[in-house]
Amino acid sequence: MLRSDQILATVEMIQKENLDVRTVTMGINLLDCRSDNVETTCYNIERKIQSLAENFVPTCDKIGRKLGIPVVNKRISVTPIALVGAGYNRAQFVRLARCLEKSADIAGVDILGGFSAQVEKGLTESDREYILAIPEALAVTNKVCASINIASSQKGINMDALAMVGQTVKDLAESTRDSGGFGAAKFVAFCNQPGDNPFMAGAIHGTGEADAVLNVGVSGPGVIARSLERLISSHGAENLLIDDLAEEIKQTTFRVTRCGELVGRQVSRELGIEFGVVDLSLAPTPTVGDSVGEILHILGVDAIGAPGSTAIVAMLNDAVKKGGIFASKAVGGLSGAFIPVMEDAVLAEAVGRDELCLEKLEAMTCVCSVGLDMVAVPGSVDADTISAIIADEMAIGMVNNKTTAARIIPVPGKEAGDHVSFGGLFGASPIMPVRNVGQSSRFVAWGGRIPAPIHSFKN
Amino acid sequence: MQRQMIISVMAKDRPGIIAAVTGAIFELNGDLADLNQSILRGYLTMILIASFDEEVTVDEVFARISAADGGNEFDIIIKPMQLALESGMVTLPAKTYIVTAQGVNKSGLVYGISSFCYQRNINILDLSTTLTEGRYTMILQIDLSHVESIKDLRDDLECYALQSEMHVMMQHYEIFRVTNEVTMK
Repeated sequence: MLRSDQILATVEMIQKENLDVRTVTMGINLLDCRSDNVETTCYNIERKIQSLAENFVPTCDKIGRKLGIPVVNKRISVTPIALVGAGYNRAQFVRLARCLEKSADIAGVDILGGFSAQVEKGLTESDREYILAIPEALAVTNKVCASINIASSQKGINMDALAMVGQTVKDLAESTRDSGGFGAAKFVAFCNQPGDNPFMAGAIHGTGEADAVLNVGVSGPGVIARSLERLISSHGAENLLIDDLAEEIKQTTFRVTRCGELVGRQVSRELGIEFGVVDLSLAPTPTVGDSVGEILHILGVDAIGAPGSTAIVAMLNDAVKKGGIFASKAVGGLSGAFIPVMEDAVLAEAVGRDELCLEKLEAMTCVCSVGLDMVAVPGSVDADTISAIIADEMAIGMVNNKTTAARIIPVPGKEAGDHVSFGGLFGASPIMPVRNVGQSSRFVAWGGRIPAPIHSFKN
Repeated sequence: MQRQMIISVMAKDRPGIIAAVTGAIFELNGDLADLNQSILRGYLTMILIASFDEEVTVDEVFARISAADGGNEFDIIIKPMQLALESGMVTLPAKTYIVTAQGVNKSGLVYGISSFCYQRNINILDLSTTLTEGRYTMILQIDLSHVESIKDLRDDLECYALQSEMHVMMQHYEIFRVTNEVTMK
């Protein structure tokens, strides 16, 4: 048997520190569902998802109970719908969205991602129709999530798509005005979107993947926070160097990732579906003790957004990646530290206290693993400014060869200082002020493409 | 034909005990198969399996080990072994779980949990307990192969925890193994 102290530490991790498998996401290829009319396509999609995902939720629960690590969310991601629906019009895309919603209901999953498109180099006519369908599609469904890849390090930034997307975000928020613009929380714009990310709202089943795959998203900011606190209290802060803290994060992430690997392999074996990747992201939830912001406090900034915040996120993100990579046969997805403002109670608080501003958040996204995520801004911010905010985030990802994303929520009828709450995992936060609103229209109006950066030419 | 024996020695720990015991076996041309030893608060206990030529008796081995014991401190038990020697690595059953129980120290804790297991056809594969500052911690590695419903067992354990005023948790052994070992298998 293992040493007692190792056993007790592992028990603490699971029982007291909110260690769980955040999500198991089944990625399903839908390209073979396309038929000559949309109804048959929908029928094929529903049948395929049903047959693959029939035992998905019960199996995850069974394995979770057997091991004693809960699988909190079971989700499905599909091939970007713009590919499945190539040539379709707006109405047909909305029809596809309803079909995906029905499939999600039948499978018993809480979210289905992949109402998506990949337009980093150019837009087809049906891509445009897809984009125009998004506000309605997400207003008439609950479980469907959408995303769009509008930039990549290889291809540059598609400014035509960018201009459309800013307006889409506004329309989404407006069409879900009654819920505070919640529609915009189900749509993400990406640069370098991965095809195997298990986290929502940006999960897709990328092309180049097998027919069906299981990706696991672990998490556990609470585990990291508690392990750092234990280290500091047992050694004393004055006796520790920052690399000691980095090492602790790395080792703890190893353990957390291993739990995800264990669950993933067993679910995969039981269902007979290929195991894809473990995404070892630190993904916070609004629950107390499950915060990335808290980790930043522990690592040394009293106010998140104060000088040092970017450096700390850089170290955290890097230590998480290092620990996780050794733990798993295949690490993928986003894999790093998330800083989604509304989903992290401590980050949201920092916004409320005016400690964390949009500009500093943007700086931190250069070194974190997602981007401007779940950021609530005033409903009065115009579409072009939103596009421009997204453009900045795309540029960061494009030039630095990383994935960046933007999920901005312009809350209708609310201004900076007001509060918005979506409840549950989507959380709550004060509305973040945006400076220099309405100054970017000429930039967004150009259209065309920001060319790929010079380092993309690797041939 | 070889004569197999189980030999157990307990003594206050000092350098040279293992050398003394295994030396005695060597002098009798014995073949040492497996050995397990542990030290608890300064006392060493070891158990080993050795095989000898047929003519060697239990008394002879006893005498030789006693002779090797300079200070006359060894408590020696030797029994002839009936079972065939199992070779190779022992693999843990698929339903191996770890139960940890922590609470204020009082008498009957180990007896309580081990009876709990016995009544439910649960074999205890390994057990370790420590007492620190009045808090007693028990860690049991158990085999649930003969348990019908693990969910029912969890409910049972919860009741037991309340009754005995302990904090009891149960997780599958795999979790501990994969989070603490380099190879995942």
